[in-house]
Amino acid sequence: MLRTVKPKNARSKRALDAREPKEIEDARTVVFVKGTKTGEVLNGVMKDMMALKRPDAISFSKKNVIHPLDAQNTASGSSSTSSLEFWSTKNDASMFVIGQTSKKRPNDLTFVRLFDGKVLDIVEAGVENYVSMESIPGPKSTPGHKPLMHFASELFDTHPRFIQLKSMLMSLFNGEAVESIYLKGLEHVISVSLAPTPATLNVASSSAESTTPLPKIHFRAYTTRLLASGSRIPRVELTLMGPSMDLVLRRHTNPDPELLKHATRRPKLKKTDVEKGLGKKRKNLDVDEMGDLRGRVHVGKQDLSKLQTRKMKGLKVGAFEDDSEDSAGDDESDQDTSTKKQKLS
Amino acid sequence: MDVSNILADNAQKLKSIQIETDTPLDIDTGFLTVTDPNPVDIESYESSLESYLLSLARTGTQALLNALFSLPTTSSPDGPLAQLPAPSTQLPRSKPLPKPKPLTKWEQFAKAKGIQGKSKEKRVKKVWDEEKQDWVNRWGRDGKNKQIEEQWITEVPMNADIDHDPRKAARHERKARVTKNQKQHEANVARANKSGGPTPSNPEREARKTDLERTLATTRTSTASMGKFDRKLEGEKKLKGVKRKFDPTEGSVSTEAKTALGLLSKMNSDARKTRLTEAQRPSKKSRTAHGDGGDPEDKILNVRKAVRFASKGRGGVALGREREKNTRGAGRGKGKRR
Repeated sequence: MLRTVKPKNARSKRALDAREPKEIEDARTVVFVKGTKTGEVLNGVMKDMMALKRPDAISFSKKNVIHPLDAQNTASGSSSTSSLEFWSTKNDASMFVIGQTSKKRPNDLTFVRLFDGKVLDIVEAGVENYVSMESIPGPKSTPGHKPLMHFASELFDTHPRFIQLKSMLMSLFNGEAVESIYLKGLEHVISVSLAPTPATLNVASSSAESTTPLPKIHFRAYTTRLLASGSRIPRVELTLMGPSMDLVLRRHTNPDPELLKHATRRPKLKKTDVEKGLGKKRKNLDVDEMGDLRGRVHVGKQDLSKLQTRKMKGLKVGAFEDDSEDSAGDDESDQDTSTKKQKLS
Repeated sequence: MDVSNILADNAQKLKSIQIETDTPLDIDTGFLTVTDPNPVDIESYESSLESYLLSLARTGTQALLNALFSLPTTSSPDGPLAQLPAPSTQLPRSKPLPKPKPLTKWEQFAKAKGIQGKSKEKRVKKVWDEEKQDWVNRWGRDGKNKQIEEQWITEVPMNADIDHDPRKAARHERKARVTKNQKQHEANVARANKSGGPTPSNPEREARKTDLERTLATTRTSTASMGKFDRKLEGEKKLKGVKRKFDPTEGSVSTEAKTALGLLSKMNSDARKTRLTEAQRPSKKSRTAHGDGGDPEDKILNVRKAVRFASKGRGGVALGREREKNTRGAGRGKGKRR
């Protein structure tokens, strides 16, 4: 572990304060790490991913002996996650993309997500059919602009592996909650779509997980062109920007439930946010245009039978009673009078 | 007037931005993300992959942009900004939630008493100087707190010592304030660390330890001299007495008010101090029945004083013993002495 350092001057204090946990977090800083062997493909993939992720990207140019997914199995590799954690504290980075190619797993790309300096979960994927950003002509997005993200498949909502992948990719490219955005600055889309879902996956996802191969993932990046449509909303046209590649899911680790619980804790909502209607819904309360809090009060259903209307002799309860008792012999009127009596008593 | 042309035109316009999907897309505008839950069209997927993916992405992006462009906007120097709602997808955080800063002793006190002063953040660094007609630093360079030290002439009181240096005195006072503040700050930091400190690892063991210590303390004071003349063992610690405990100065205002009011009502209701009317006074019969219980003023004979007088200060027991002896006969020797 790193020593806890006491800042000696104002500049270093500011730098340390910037690393303190925040209620609303900045984008994750990602470190791109090269494993012992990276081929041409992986070098290109990492370079292009960095281009998409800039400025929150750090590149490790030297090779590193790192096998984060082998750490659980062998005692010798246990240093892998610990070195990831060390780099995380050193660079204030909370995500890693590791590229490594081997005979067993060619063009292997590993995404590691961390929480509080500890490894949360890992997703491993193989890269196929890679086309670099350079080789595709056309305009590229400006570094630092937020991408739009597009996921296409029902598996992103149902299958645990793909839910994890979606969450991982969103953390990688789009994990920053911003208050407002300049809409003309939305320059590119990252689209992640899946090959057709195998029939077995549709039935029982958990049991078939081990046997059926998971569908291929198509990772594409497009630039947007906003065309006038005549209305306020423009029509969008896309052109391929690159990188484009196909990913095949390999190994993974699930997050430790205890750690995940801590990681998904939400901050308490501010009073103004609650008034705006965020968070827990408050019924019958709203803020009007003047900023005044308005409430609606619901009273129960009024009992109109006991309502006192205009007093008249003819409407008196007892007035009609004596006459009817004498004259009427029917059951109906008898019942009526008896009920009236009950009410009176 | 025929509006069908205009309507058709409008529909044509809208057509270019409308999207048609079987299942509505799941849009998270907070994270600028759209998820398309529709199943893949296998035919077009297999015939031309790239164009199919492009059209799929276009549909999704158009849906997302439709949602984004209909959000409320605010103007800024760079152009209109769309106000994004909070994201609906929950992603794991990269760092834990920030811990609330521990309150200082003063802040605790102010909170308990409901004192609302200016917070540290709100307090401005500059203060208005009437003489200079300008804002000056509260502290630091040419600070207001150094004004007496730095002014070129200072009034000296009539009865001051010969070696009285007003600048030195002011400086001393300021330095004392600084050290006092430093001390308080350190105490606050220590308190903050202590409150979040480690809890006993083995509570059972701790309980047993305190129990033993208590037993030992009682045995040490259970000798005839209450432990005063016992032989001390080497390294034996001095017994600690019971420390007096006071209520904390900071408590809620309501409880404080309640205790004060309770005390007041007690004082008012004191029967001995209030003068009773003749009717209220208990009757003489009941008073005699009570005996000693009545008011000391009303009694004719003070029993305690009478006994002391009769026994010549030796007490009621001695008086009783003497009387017994006197009735048995005076030839026993004690009477001789007298």
